[in-house]
Amino acid sequence: MTEATIATSQTSAGVVAKPNLVSADGKVQVLIAMQNIWKTYDMGAEKVHALHGVSFEVKRGEYLAITGPSGSGKSTLMNLIGCLDTPSQGDYWLNGKNVSEMDDDELARIRNQEVGFVFQTFNLLARATALHNVELPLIYGGIPSAKRHEMAKQALTEVDLVDRMMHRPNELSGGQRQRVAIARALVNHPSILLADEPTGALDTATSYDIMNLFEKLYEDGNTIILVTHERDIAARARRIISIRDGLIEKDEQIK
Amino acid sequence: MTFADIRESAYMAFDTVRSNKLRSSLTILGVSVGVITIVFMVSIIQGLNKAFAAQIESLGSNTIWATKFDPSIGHQPTSEEIHRKELTIEDADAIRREAPSIVGVSPFYRKINETARYGDKQSDTPILIGVTSYHEFTTSSYVARGRYVTDLDVEQRTNVAVLGQDLVKALYGTEDPIGKELKIAGRVFSVVGVMEPLGSILGQSRDNTIYIPITTFEKYYPDIEFPEIISAIIVRPVSRAYVKSAIDEMTDILRRQRRVPQGAPNNFGISSQDALLDVYNQLTGATYLVLTAISCVALMIGGIGVMNIMLVSVTERTKEIGLRKAVGATRTNILSQFLIEAVVLTAIGGLLGLLVGELFSVLMNKYSPLPAYVPAWAIGVGIGISAGVGIIFGLWPAWKAARMDPIESLRWE
Repeated sequence: MTEATIATSQTSAGVVAKPNLVSADGKVQVLIAMQNIWKTYDMGAEKVHALHGVSFEVKRGEYLAITGPSGSGKSTLMNLIGCLDTPSQGDYWLNGKNVSEMDDDELARIRNQEVGFVFQTFNLLARATALHNVELPLIYGGIPSAKRHEMAKQALTEVDLVDRMMHRPNELSGGQRQRVAIARALVNHPSILLADEPTGALDTATSYDIMNLFEKLYEDGNTIILVTHERDIAARARRIISIRDGLIEKDEQIK
Repeated sequence: MTFADIRESAYMAFDTVRSNKLRSSLTILGVSVGVITIVFMVSIIQGLNKAFAAQIESLGSNTIWATKFDPSIGHQPTSEEIHRKELTIEDADAIRREAPSIVGVSPFYRKINETARYGDKQSDTPILIGVTSYHEFTTSSYVARGRYVTDLDVEQRTNVAVLGQDLVKALYGTEDPIGKELKIAGRVFSVVGVMEPLGSILGQSRDNTIYIPITTFEKYYPDIEFPEIISAIIVRPVSRAYVKSAIDEMTDILRRQRRVPQGAPNNFGISSQDALLDVYNQLTGATYLVLTAISCVALMIGGIGVMNIMLVSVTERTKEIGLRKAVGATRTNILSQFLIEAVVLTAIGGLLGLLVGELFSVLMNKYSPLPAYVPAWAIGVGIGISAGVGIIFGLWPAWKAARMDPIESLRWE
């Protein structure tokens, strides 16, 4: 994100009460600002409130875990953070941009630029090489092919898999697949890395490796949000937000 | 749509083909059959058209024929028509005197399968034509060496003959026929000229002809026996633009000459090359229509196959679509990717169809009497149509994919 585009988004979005996101040097420091977020699903006869009035902020470089039992609204919150969905009410500022009113294609662009997804089941293209999988966000970002290769290789180097880049997912172990997925999430240098139960499909030892990788990425300055129901995985983060019944139950700094 | 988009789509398409080999092959086959039908049919019709047009052209300028009945295609003459009075040299003279829209009139008799003999060589197939000196110019077929039938020959009923190239070769070989004797049905003629090569029309050689004076013909063949012998008047209008007025003038003159009462139908027929072309175009026009309908059905079936496999592809890729959307694919990206996938499938089918169709028409040309010809535009149309089928039948599955909710599709198992 360049400073010029931040300036534009600031001037164009002045209507709503905009939180102070920017530090003295002009850089956006509050990456995520959720303001009184509601999400309501219309289930025919009755309306289900998945989230009712959630507010919090996440600063650049934080390592945050969002936990909660199933049905707590955790997944809904994750979908909102990841810009896969928009809130029914409230404002969501992501890296200086209000995404709560955006249409599908604008959201797609935001996801492409600002969010790196890591899924429980990896979601790799089965017949594509690791390299091609990692290049996928760059293809939709319109990055020219030579640059794409270079960036994808760089991302695979960060997860220590560059020697396997021509392998297909079925030639890789579960841990290696998840690392390819993490490389794919990192390749576009997004504002946030959003991981949904990233160790849910892995054995304990491999989970440990993956969590160490997240630790390293955090130390490199990436902003990481883990969504998990496992307490010990959440405990690896620096801050835990617990969700229950569509509300924040607890928001604690743990380290 | 960027180049990367297209490449990614082509990649997806080949992925689909690879992972569903049998189903894809059948789909591609369906489109191929449609395109083969089109190419093959077009090639035959175009080949026929081309051959026919070339032969019409080779007849020279637009001549008009007057005969005692209308010789149109597919029409069997009635006995009334066969027993009508012949057209005469006097009729021709009247047309020559009175019709301003014409530049040449030639009455003639034609007999098929006459025997011609020189020394010990004989031919049983020549066409014998009794002509006046006007025939040469009127039909634009000229003598190459020696001389043509003259007015004096006609007046004195001389036994002179002008030979077509085929007969020169068959009877005289390397000898110069001019001045030599020729026996036609046993009667002695003297060869005075040799025609330039005229080529053939509708598979029939025009060089297998003997021209003799019309009066000499009348002397030896007093009875006109249809269909072996016919008599006709051939007329050359000033130019193509005068065909219509020449026909009108001829009709008036012939009605008067043949004493057709007011209001009664003509007791003779007049046809022009244009009329011939009209009949021909009517025939091929109808054929075109039928073939277009058949090809459309064939392509429809191919298209349904395409839609089927695209729907399968979209459903199988639900999770992949969710992932692609999550990493930033817009609706347009997904739509165009699946459309291109469909177009790649149909284009493969189209190209195969073109190749096979082209091959068919080459074989056809080589091993059958039917001429076949694939015009350049047919290749474009073939590819265009198959791509069009891809777009039309791929649109709905692609739209289905584009509208998928990323959250739902990511959750899909």
